[in-house]
Amino acid sequence: MEAAVSDQAAGNATSPATNAASAHRRAFAYGLIAFALVACLPLLPVNNYILAATVRALIFISLGQAWNVVAGIGGLLSLGHGVFLGLGCYTTGILFNKYGIPPWFGVWGGVVLSLLVALVMGSMTLRMRGVFFALATVAASLAMVQISRHFVDLTGGADGLALKFFGNSLWAAQSRTPAPFLYAALAFVTAYYWITRWILNSKFGLEMQAVRDDEVAAAAAGVAVFRTKMLGLLVSAAMTALAAGLYMQFYMAIDPEAAFGLSQAIQLQLPALIGGLGTAWGPIIGGAIMIFLSEVTNWGGTKVGISGLDIFVYGLMLLAVVLYAPKGVVGTLLRNTVKGSGR
Amino acid sequence: MAGVDAALLLALQAILSGILVGGVYGVLSIGLSLAFGVMRIVNFAHGELVMYGMYAGVIASKNFGVDPLLILPLSFVAMALIGSVQYQVVFRRFVGQATLQQLLAAIGCALVFQMIAQMIFGADTRTATSVFSGQYVVFGPFFFSMSQIVAFAIAVIATVLVEALLRTTTWGKAVRAVADDMETAELVGVNASYINIGAFALSAGLAGLAGTVLVTYFPTYPSVGFSLMPIIIIATTIGGLGSIGGTFLGGICCGIIQQVTAMLWNSALQDVPLYILLMLFIAFRPTGFFGLRSE
Repeated sequence: MEAAVSDQAAGNATSPATNAASAHRRAFAYGLIAFALVACLPLLPVNNYILAATVRALIFISLGQAWNVVAGIGGLLSLGHGVFLGLGCYTTGILFNKYGIPPWFGVWGGVVLSLLVALVMGSMTLRMRGVFFALATVAASLAMVQISRHFVDLTGGADGLALKFFGNSLWAAQSRTPAPFLYAALAFVTAYYWITRWILNSKFGLEMQAVRDDEVAAAAAGVAVFRTKMLGLLVSAAMTALAAGLYMQFYMAIDPEAAFGLSQAIQLQLPALIGGLGTAWGPIIGGAIMIFLSEVTNWGGTKVGISGLDIFVYGLMLLAVVLYAPKGVVGTLLRNTVKGSGR
Repeated sequence: MAGVDAALLLALQAILSGILVGGVYGVLSIGLSLAFGVMRIVNFAHGELVMYGMYAGVIASKNFGVDPLLILPLSFVAMALIGSVQYQVVFRRFVGQATLQQLLAAIGCALVFQMIAQMIFGADTRTATSVFSGQYVVFGPFFFSMSQIVAFAIAVIATVLVEALLRTTTWGKAVRAVADDMETAELVGVNASYINIGAFALSAGLAGLAGTVLVTYFPTYPSVGFSLMPIIIIATTIGGLGSIGGTFLGGICCGIIQQVTAMLWNSALQDVPLYILLMLFIAFRPTGFFGLRSE
């Protein structure tokens, strides 16, 4: 199974196999079409509800792409990426509300803070394998829930923090309609896609994949295991905190559970898991499926009068993916193309 | 002088209540520890099994007027059954490998269990009453809730029974053999898949039992499992994943630290020192006090 994963990674890098290359060209063409469709969406006669749902999907795709770097490419089971999302949101929001610093600059404060926290978390836990790292990240995010509830003056406590609303304003990065966010989020997804592609092909990405597949063998081959893991965590944390800036501007509010809670952490993971861990396309496809299903179930849930049905569906999706399609949609599709070409 | 005495008394009161609360944390956690020790499975839905145990107590007390403490065997058996189904459907394929997939599958179970509870019982907070509810014991300058004393006693008895089961019976020896080395155990004639499902049922049953004990003084709600899970994880890590007695002591440590923080510093931040402690243990002693070697 691991051999198949690295085959696929090698295919992404420099594949002599023409079928893989043409599969990638095809995927690229589909991607271009999807990009154009989404970009033209505000010009079409669609209502704001659909636009907002699309923005939500794109934001969760970006967050999923960020998680994918550490978990998919690096194989580190971080269940605590809510920490970086929350730090990004809260820092952007607090700097804006209290000090009038526009989110364009404030978000970098969140990135720096996330990097610092990731550095501390990583240096304490990255030497541990598997479960212990996962448990430590859970603990970190739950500690953040309590801490953010406690410092009411700064964070608004359990009620959360709402951005001061300025209407349509470029300076405050706010808008009454979802269309500007659509373009911003699309830019994020595109940039993160290229970053993921670049990481997958770079020496750093190959080293991460080597560490993921076999830590001892990677170390024997001269990979600095700890440094590679740490770098992966830092890149992923920074990407999450940056996308969190967009999350904050779009949702206009954050509270401890939405920032650091376990359900949120799971929503950050589902795009990559559904789509395919460690692939550049995975989070994009997975995020679209996740938001589509959650919108449909929430709509159905309000009809029947049951709330929170989307969490139930997330749980089922998680189980279904892990038990029946551990490589996600992209992994399953790629396997089929390889099989079909008789390799 | 009187001020110093008062602070000292408060600290002692905190430590003693911490021991009582911590014993229950211990029995909440030993199931998780057992499943990890035998099968290397971290059941993130352990807290949800506890939650079902709590609701069993609520239903017994509110719908049937039966004392929750009387249905302990029932909730043990019921959760053991749910646990064996969970094992057969989800965890069987992950035995021996605590992987990302295994953790995620367990979280998936937790979400599904949680939402099922919310659909059946609603999102409201529910309580149960036992004969000991509302009774207090005054012991010199200290006072304790009777429910907590009884819960602590049951926790100690349950832990001792599990230890005895594992140490003295043939089945227990087989479980420990599988925990040490599954392949060798099979070579000497132990049916490991049989042992695994039994051990997992025991782990789930303990969660149910602990939940029903806990609900005599702690209210329940659908996401209570997620709220308890950090303490369960911390108790297990401090005590040592895989060690029953160690996990029980880990629970008591958690209880003491939590109560002392709450009474002497700030009850809103009562769990923060625990999280820091967990990080320190993971960084410097991931096997806990008595745990298995790191994976």
